Amino acid sequence: MTEEKPPFGGSWGFLYALVLLNLAAIIALASWFTKAFE
Amino acid sequence: MTLLDWGVLGASLVGIVLYGVWKGRGNRDLGGYLLAGRTTHWPTITMSIMATQASAITFLSTPGQGFADGMRFVQFYFGLPLAMILLAATAVPIYYRLKVFTAYEYLERRFDGRARTLAATLFLIQRGLAAGLTIYAPSLILSVLLGWNIHVTNLVTGALVVIYTASGGSKAVNYTQFLQMLIIFFGFGIALIYIFNSLPGGITLGDAAVVAGKLGKLNAVDFSFDLKNRYNFWSGIIGGFFVALSYFGTDQSQVGRYLTGRSIAESRTGLLANGILKVPMQFGILFLGAMVFVFYLFTTPPVFFNPVEVNRVRSGAHAQEFRQVEERYEAAAEARRARTQEYLEARRRGDPSTAAAEKALREADAGTSAVRSEAIAVIKKNDPEAQTSDTNYIFLSFVLGHLPAGIIGLVLAAIFAASMSSTSAELNSLSSTTSVDYYKRFVDRTPDDANPATARRDVLVSKGATVFWGLFAVGFAEYASKLGSLIEAVNILGSLVYGTILGIFLVAFYLKRVGGTAVFVAALVSEAAVVACFLFTEISFLWYNVVGCLGVIAISSLLASWGVDKKTPAPAAA
Repeated sequence: MTEEKPPFGGSWGFLYALVLLNLAAIIALASWFTKAFE
Repeated sequence: MTLLDWGVLGASLVGIVLYGVWKGRGNRDLGGYLLAGRTTHWPTITMSIMATQASAITFLSTPGQGFADGMRFVQFYFGLPLAMILLAATAVPIYYRLKVFTAYEYLERRFDGRARTLAATLFLIQRGLAAGLTIYAPSLILSVLLGWNIHVTNLVTGALVVIYTASGGSKAVNYTQFLQMLIIFFGFGIALIYIFNSLPGGITLGDAAVVAGKLGKLNAVDFSFDLKNRYNFWSGIIGGFFVALSYFGTDQSQVGRYLTGRSIAESRTGLLANGILKVPMQFGILFLGAMVFVFYLFTTPPVFFNPVEVNRVRSGAHAQEFRQVEERYEAAAEARRARTQEYLEARRRGDPSTAAAEKALREADAGTSAVRSEAIAVIKKNDPEAQTSDTNYIFLSFVLGHLPAGIIGLVLAAIFAASMSSTSAELNSLSSTTSVDYYKRFVDRTPDDANPATARRDVLVSKGATVFWGLFAVGFAEYASKLGSLIEAVNILGSLVYGTILGIFLVAFYLKRVGGTAVFVAALVSEAAVVACFLFTEISFLWYNVVGCLGVIAISSLLASWGVDKKTPAPAAA
């Protein structure tokens, strides 16, 4: 069965990577936040 | 509350109801009523998913947690984006290809009727009671802080939700949730701006963050591993992953939201966008709480934020003792304010005395906390049954005491919107499960699309089920004040059953050789293990989901390897 393309981003692999990168960036930012202001 | 606040609140509530009734009109069959005719685009699905998860208590309690405990609660959501990816890649296509109305319908196709009935029944019990608490919890806080009659508040909230949810079904729920999230974002955004503007002259956002950080309120990430520590990176990424997988993958209140998508792609994207937006949203709400804490460094806060408990002790046998503690608290808060200013000035000058000033500030904050603990001890001494946690009252108490007219009405509208959005999704999902997993299975098995008369009757039954569950929720909300500690038990019920239900679904999705008897036995044994963890260990509740889920997978696999009812692969599974 042909997989339907996502509404944006071109491919599902790109969207999954986007979610993972966003999570990694948030965790990195939150870690920096914790260290910078502790 | 001023007339302007009442106007903003009233206009928002009436607007939500009218918008829901209008957008939800014209449902002719179950597909239209329960799945919005599968016409929803991904932005609406995302907002709907977020609005379903975020109840009024989320917006009342989370800033309070930021105030009292800092930002570590944000770690609870770290596993959510991973769960969104897994569900988007696997569960959504399976649900779509089987054209199911509910998650539990899938279990009968994969296993047998027992698994479907077990999961649907656990859902109806847990979600039905939870819907009552979704109405009751904010009503209690509003009645305590505003003096409103709690019964009237319960009834009005329930009635408004039932009107548009019963009338318009999923379409009304989805569209009103979009509107409700806009009201929530706007209300809380304005509140955050007001907090910054309310800080004394010369205090920048950077100063506020530095002070909050020095006093332990910006502790967003903790990488130490401790099973008894409720919120750290590991419990969040692992335990939070299983919680999110279970909630978004198997709870009909969420599954019903993304099944309304106009295609698999729209539903998947809706889930993935939730995976991107959810953690920053929680971060923002907790940061709001941390900023309320900073605000109260410059303005003396109440020694205890629940006025009912304070008034009770003031009129009781320990009134004199409490008054003395309050006086000492005011002095301690005043000293803390002075130390805060001294620290910030020393820091700005780059003065060598900055370290000493920081130490003095920490000591002043610890001193204030110690006097507050004394006040709580007096409250407890006055009434051993008194509620000694005031976390849920902190944010709204700040809003009522320090925000201007009009903004108070807006924040209250946001809180009502949050309560209504969660409740409407809960009622809609309870109605779906009652109609599809019980009525269409045990009472009338005629296909919904057999003829227009059957379709009309099915819609009518679903509307009736929505009204029934609405009455049940309001009835339970009315009764909740008499339950005392049982409320905590109801709250924890979800944690006790989610892992097991998730295990059943994961076996259904991924272990094709396991059959109905094996998974049924495994579910019962794993549930017993989870209850044992709850009763006899100190393991944090986030890990119950891991225990229940892995238990079902391991035991059912073992039984299958022993030859217990090997099953043919699931139909049309991905």
